[in-house]
Amino acid sequence: MADPQDPRPDKDAKVPALSRRSFLKGAGGVAAATGVLQGAVQATPQEGRAATLSGTVELELTINGQAKKVTCEPRTTLLSALRDRVEPALTGAKPVCDMGSCGACTVMVDGKPTYSCLTLAVQCKGKEVTTVEGFGTPENMSDVQEAFCAKDGMMCGFCTPGFVVATHACLDRNPDADLDEIKFELSGNLCRCGTYPHVFDAVQAAQAARKAGGQDR
Amino acid sequence: MSSKGNTSGADPSWGKRSDLEVLNRDIRRVDGPDKATGRAVYTHDVRLPNMLHAAVLMHPVPRADIRTMDISAAEALPGVVYVLRVKEDGKDVQYSGDDAVLAVVAAESPEAAMDGVRAIVVDAENKEPVVSTERAKEPDAPLVARRRRATSNITSRRARGEEDAVKAALEASAAMVEMEIEIPVQHHVCLEPHGHVVDPGGEGENATVYASTQAVSGMSGAFAGKGMLNRKASEIRALTPHMGGGFGAKFGPGLEGRLAAQIARATGRPVHLVLSRSNEFTMGGNRSGSKQSLKLGADKTGKFTAIHVVAERHGGFGGGAFPGAPYRYAVPSVFVDTMSVKTATDSSRAMRAPGHPQASFGMESVVDQIAYALKMDPVDVRKKNLTADTHHRQLDRVAQEIGWNDHPNRTAPGTPKNGRAVGIGFGVAGWSPGGRDCQCDVTVHPDGSVISATATQDLGTGARTYVAAIVAEELGLTVDQVTPRIGDSDLPPSVASGGSVTTGSSAPAIKDAAHKMREALEAKLEPVLQAPVGGYIWTGGRVHSEEDPTNSLAWTEVCALLRDPLQVSGRFQKSLYEGRIHGVQAAKVEVDTMTGRVKVLKMVAMQDQGLPLNRMALRSQINGGMIQALSYGLLERRVFDESDGYLLSDNLDLYKIAGAQEMPEMVAIIDDEDERDSVCGMAEAPIIPGQSAIANAIYNACGARLTRMPFTPDNVLEAIHGEV
Repeated sequence: MADPQDPRPDKDAKVPALSRRSFLKGAGGVAAATGVLQGAVQATPQEGRAATLSGTVELELTINGQAKKVTCEPRTTLLSALRDRVEPALTGAKPVCDMGSCGACTVMVDGKPTYSCLTLAVQCKGKEVTTVEGFGTPENMSDVQEAFCAKDGMMCGFCTPGFVVATHACLDRNPDADLDEIKFELSGNLCRCGTYPHVFDAVQAAQAARKAGGQDR
Repeated sequence: MSSKGNTSGADPSWGKRSDLEVLNRDIRRVDGPDKATGRAVYTHDVRLPNMLHAAVLMHPVPRADIRTMDISAAEALPGVVYVLRVKEDGKDVQYSGDDAVLAVVAAESPEAAMDGVRAIVVDAENKEPVVSTERAKEPDAPLVARRRRATSNITSRRARGEEDAVKAALEASAAMVEMEIEIPVQHHVCLEPHGHVVDPGGEGENATVYASTQAVSGMSGAFAGKGMLNRKASEIRALTPHMGGGFGAKFGPGLEGRLAAQIARATGRPVHLVLSRSNEFTMGGNRSGSKQSLKLGADKTGKFTAIHVVAERHGGFGGGAFPGAPYRYAVPSVFVDTMSVKTATDSSRAMRAPGHPQASFGMESVVDQIAYALKMDPVDVRKKNLTADTHHRQLDRVAQEIGWNDHPNRTAPGTPKNGRAVGIGFGVAGWSPGGRDCQCDVTVHPDGSVISATATQDLGTGARTYVAAIVAEELGLTVDQVTPRIGDSDLPPSVASGGSVTTGSSAPAIKDAAHKMREALEAKLEPVLQAPVGGYIWTGGRVHSEEDPTNSLAWTEVCALLRDPLQVSGRFQKSLYEGRIHGVQAAKVEVDTMTGRVKVLKMVAMQDQGLPLNRMALRSQINGGMIQALSYGLLERRVFDESDGYLLSDNLDLYKIAGAQEMPEMVAIIDDEDERDSVCGMAEAPIIPGQSAIANAIYNACGARLTRMPFTPDNVLEAIHGEV
């Protein structure tokens, strides 16, 4: 993150080597100030004013097939960009764990299921981002979304967008997944209400409908 | 529905089940498409023009003197708009929880708010944390109890029963088992954390509060007072169109709501304050832990004689919950001594069936053990000591479904083969879901559109769906012909969703309103179809008189008789509700006795609740109860660093909840032999006995009695081999 004005998309491949935690925590001299919270330390207020090292970057992202101009910082996650920096906000992907444990923020990046809380927006330049909103609308749902409704694959619904995207990924990757494989494919997503059995029903229903219809949507 | 027998002036009734056309079926959730496509807007998703994002700074350990806190660097950061100092210099932090909130930073972006939090400089002196109950009980432990004149961290001690008589009865019993039970603190882990978006409104405008709450009706008043928005409740509208889980943790505004209100007032801008996951684990509440010492006696026929229970509630700074003993079983001679052990940790809150899973685990463990001590079938012993017929029939059905009757170890635990053993265990539940006053308005427009409105909230139970479905049933319509409106404090008031009270309260009010609407429409039909009020059949989108089925009107034709929209109001009717439910669960597990790993192979739950409004949503709720119990039993444990007081399990990697791969085969059975003409909520019951059934299944598999939750490999190996 030497120069925030130059995100250099061609260097994308190298970005993942930088853990998001160290990246975020290191973003700004301000991070040092958190040290004062460790135990009964004797902290002295920093000399002068804390400064932020972050700048802003103008990015063009392709989200749900549309080119979107996004003003963000090098440290802005894809999740934050979607929820807080595009107009209109895309809030289908949810912030839940903020560390890649729960899958509620899952989106597709170039067809791969991706935790958007662990992905930087700048990494997505030149890639196709598809959020749950991109798969269908209430008026015209995808086959997976339709199956989630038919089988009651949701309760409070906060995890549902992540499960819907993960299910699309599962069926793309492994159309004939058996129940154990479905469980494996969805093991990156957590639900607290306990919807799993009906989610599995929904995946199998979508699978069966694809086989019967002989086509993917 | 045919609605026969509902004559004019008669109380509404749910009607014969065979006549129902909408209810007691699988109904699709009406908000399913919004949830499945990401269009559903939760509090966390609210985006308003000019909105500030707030982040919270918490002191990371429970007890400390805050000497100074310098917020100037934070205030100077670009993007930071307002820093609210919550702890003044010289104040102390008394416990890990909302009392550890030091400051809130409101900024133009979430990242800038976090920058502000990081830039606050705190000089504090930490004190001994007192996070373990063992330490809290020691005479020289610092007092964490806030109660005046408290001399110990053990409070609210209360004994009931004749201890000497109970001891004598235990000694005279043919069999007696003794057990020490330990249950850690569990978190709710609502996927949407606690939070609000508070819009103070402009000059002369009302305020709006978007709240992730289980009590939308009460929210206007809760945000009204001084220290909040300092306005009248009538000037505040609370909205909860969707909420990402509550489980008992989300009633009032909490400190986070108060701070959001204060910043909104100070800045005049909308404030988005939703707790981070770490904040949520630290101050979002929990299910209290429990330590129980139980002794149960039985005669040689398996009839219980006496029980002696000493139980500690581990509710942190709060009191904790424990419903007493004996839990659900009949025991003639009872001594129970309960107390609360305070630690400097977040207060327990209501959590789905507060206290009951803890009591179930203690009771079901000794019940199970005494059956094997008597070399009797644990299902038979349960039936000998349960008085409700419902429990008996549910035990029989669940035993059949789990395969108990063909299982080899019915009166003695099995022995592992090649290190593996399969076992089956049981547990029972009971709950008294409430039902109290609640209101609903139903409006029919001349164009045929229908609105059913009540200020309830849908926590994921499917409440929004039955708000429409009950009206559809009464008027012979389909669910999609009725628009449900909920989650808005401006709508007719409803109850806070706690203790499975929502359905028992709101469904009767909706039914009452629907019934009144039917009667009001029938009054308009009298000159057209020549039948008196109460003499009509509403079905398939049409109405005809009972006398003459050939002379009918379509719904739109009925509505066209209206000159203006017609609105009626319904209220809770006691005759439509009965709040008494049971429930039985069984688990089948495989124990790897070499590694201590437990795999749940199958769970079965059976639940009664009167009329099932929506069978599909009901199965979802029953599954959810089983899964949360499985997660509680196998995985969940809050962990503090006892020397310094850091909450180590403040994230979803270290606080594990059940995922797809832990899911066994699950069978949710709706008890259709319960033919009561009543409704009530049921969600507490299925969370109560699952972990008990799993522990009993582990014993049944290999003879290892799990007395400490969760049943992680270390605890399982210790139960098998003794302390290592």
